[in-house]
Amino acid sequence: MLIPVILYGIWVIAPIFYTIFLSFTQWDGLTAPTFIGIGNYVDLLQDPIFYTALFNNIKWLLIYVLVPLPLGLGFAMFFNRSLPGVKLFKTAIYLPLTLSFVVLSQIWTWIYQPKYGAINVTLKALGLENLTVAWLSNSDVVTYSLIVVGCWPQTAYTMVLFLAGLQNIPTEVMEAAKVDGANKWQTFWKIILPLLRPATIIAVAVTIIQSLRMFAIVNVMTRGGPFRSSEVLANYMYVEGFKNYSMGYASALAVVLFLIILLFVFIYLYQIFKTEVEY
Amino acid sequence: MKKITGNLVVSILIVSFLIGVSLVAIGAEKKVVINSYMADPAPKETLKKLVDNFEEEYPDYEVTINTYPHEDYKTLIRTWLPSKKASPDIVTWFAGERANFFVEKGLIAPLDDIWGEGKGFEDYFPRAFKSISQFEGKTYFLPQSWYWWGFWYRESVFEELNLTEPVTWNQFLNVCEKLKENGYTPITIGSKFRWTAAGWFDYLNLRLNGADFHMKLMKGEASYDTQKVRKVFEHWKQLLDRGYFIENHTSYSWQEGAKFLFNKEAGMYLMGQFIQDVVSDEEIKDDLNFFRFPIMDASVPIAEETPTDGYMIPKNAPHPEAAKTFMHYLATKQSQWFFAEELNRIAANKNIEPSKYDPMVQKGLRMINRSDKVTQFYDRDTKPAMADKAMDQFVKFMVNPGQIDQVLNALEAQREKTFE
Repeated sequence: MLIPVILYGIWVIAPIFYTIFLSFTQWDGLTAPTFIGIGNYVDLLQDPIFYTALFNNIKWLLIYVLVPLPLGLGFAMFFNRSLPGVKLFKTAIYLPLTLSFVVLSQIWTWIYQPKYGAINVTLKALGLENLTVAWLSNSDVVTYSLIVVGCWPQTAYTMVLFLAGLQNIPTEVMEAAKVDGANKWQTFWKIILPLLRPATIIAVAVTIIQSLRMFAIVNVMTRGGPFRSSEVLANYMYVEGFKNYSMGYASALAVVLFLIILLFVFIYLYQIFKTEVEY
Repeated sequence: MKKITGNLVVSILIVSFLIGVSLVAIGAEKKVVINSYMADPAPKETLKKLVDNFEEEYPDYEVTINTYPHEDYKTLIRTWLPSKKASPDIVTWFAGERANFFVEKGLIAPLDDIWGEGKGFEDYFPRAFKSISQFEGKTYFLPQSWYWWGFWYRESVFEELNLTEPVTWNQFLNVCEKLKENGYTPITIGSKFRWTAAGWFDYLNLRLNGADFHMKLMKGEASYDTQKVRKVFEHWKQLLDRGYFIENHTSYSWQEGAKFLFNKEAGMYLMGQFIQDVVSDEEIKDDLNFFRFPIMDASVPIAEETPTDGYMIPKNAPHPEAAKTFMHYLATKQSQWFFAEELNRIAANKNIEPSKYDPMVQKGLRMINRSDKVTQFYDRDTKPAMADKAMDQFVKFMVNPGQIDQVLNALEAQREKTFE
């Protein structure tokens, strides 16, 4: 027990406190940091890119909760039966999850390419030329284009979580419902959903955390561009720290992101420790 | 069983480690490790050949090249330089302010003893290179080669439309108009990685306000929120308003932008000579030519961008003496000529006869020789934080040309922050 605690302290706890310390300094990552108090946080509050990034993270969060979650649940409900070929479809939907975000992003960069990309070429072929958009360079749509890419594996992920949850529902309960004459709709709302609560909590928490710490898709596909319109906190932090030599400022961003995620983790833990549903 | 497997794994690890160590010991006596950002196929291959030549001449040396993608390299170098363990012996880097950034922090070793008996920097390189290689009286940067910038175009397109290389701004606007009338996009650019837009800012500012003002701006000594800088954006806006630039340029990398020039969808591309590195088709390569960025105000001394690439030895280099031997080799006429010839660059070494170069390079060299001033490039001449924020503004402006006031305000606010 002692060794894991020490390792955890060195690799997880200590860096957190060191980052908090750094957020009160000005540091180029090379020479010694100088203490500047809350200067970084004052700058942060006046930084338009910070607000763009924060606002984009909120977009990611809302859409992540509203789209992949219900979709994942729908797929799970549909595939939770033994039909011929069901495994094949499950695998097909699960597949994007096995790809790294960098690969996914590269594929979607081609799909979105404005002139020869799959989407615009298809639209043109259908005579819908006026619907073609420069998906990654139009500052009004770029964030949504990126979120779509993220939703793809995220749906698969939640599907797996819900499938596991569905396996845990005892067949007796389902049979009892049938005997009592509950229709499908009633069974879903009154029995399946409440019993899926543990799986749902995990799925929601993971989805929220994923959406807040999103980095790879943004970094690979747009680097936060054009002109920072698709920026998110995690990528902004990276750019400030490693490209602009402002480690102190990047640390302040990290602390803010950390606090936001912490808030959701607390909500999550609170839900976990509440009494579980009895049946 | 578990224990036996564990022991086995440990012994295999130890044995393979020992073999590895002894192999290194048997191999070459003097090792040099170079970390390089030359990741495009042509320069990567050339550096490899250069190293092979060196090893042939100095058989007891063993040179290893680690290549990193250009954009990643700029981030990673900061983790190598301060590290006592992970530092390479030689790094590729950019001359001028970008080199000085690390020199100021004491992370680079001086090179003043590599030139050989009774020789010095000036025996190898033009005096003008001192300002981008020497800091506080010592040489830290070894220039290898440089290139010029210009408007690249396809001769066959200009012939077809009966166009000649424009010299003045008005002639340039006429060329743009004529290209547009004939169904070409006059100017291509790929601004996804932003620096291509900085090239436009640099040139417009150099032509309208001159190199002296430009360098003051780069050093944070002049304000962005002035009539002079406004003029730069107003001229830029002229081109944007007339739809001369390619659509959706923020989607494309510089290489993707170049494709529109190669396949004749677009007419011209403001770009460095390295555009020739990415042409694979010989026919297009022969068809490619360039002209000087047009003169906008005849009273302003002509300035050109001549970004210079080269090498430095980190302070923590594990084999500094071997590295210096290689650096000396890199400075020689023979190795500089080899590198420049392979890639159509211009060698920094001054002893190379200009007539030896490819005609295209001679044209570039003539252009530079007839210029009054040279600069490096926006992100090489100013501080990193300023460059990062400013390049956002340049791209933003190209998409929203109506927002000159906002752009000027943002640039000036960042200057005050960076150079406070």
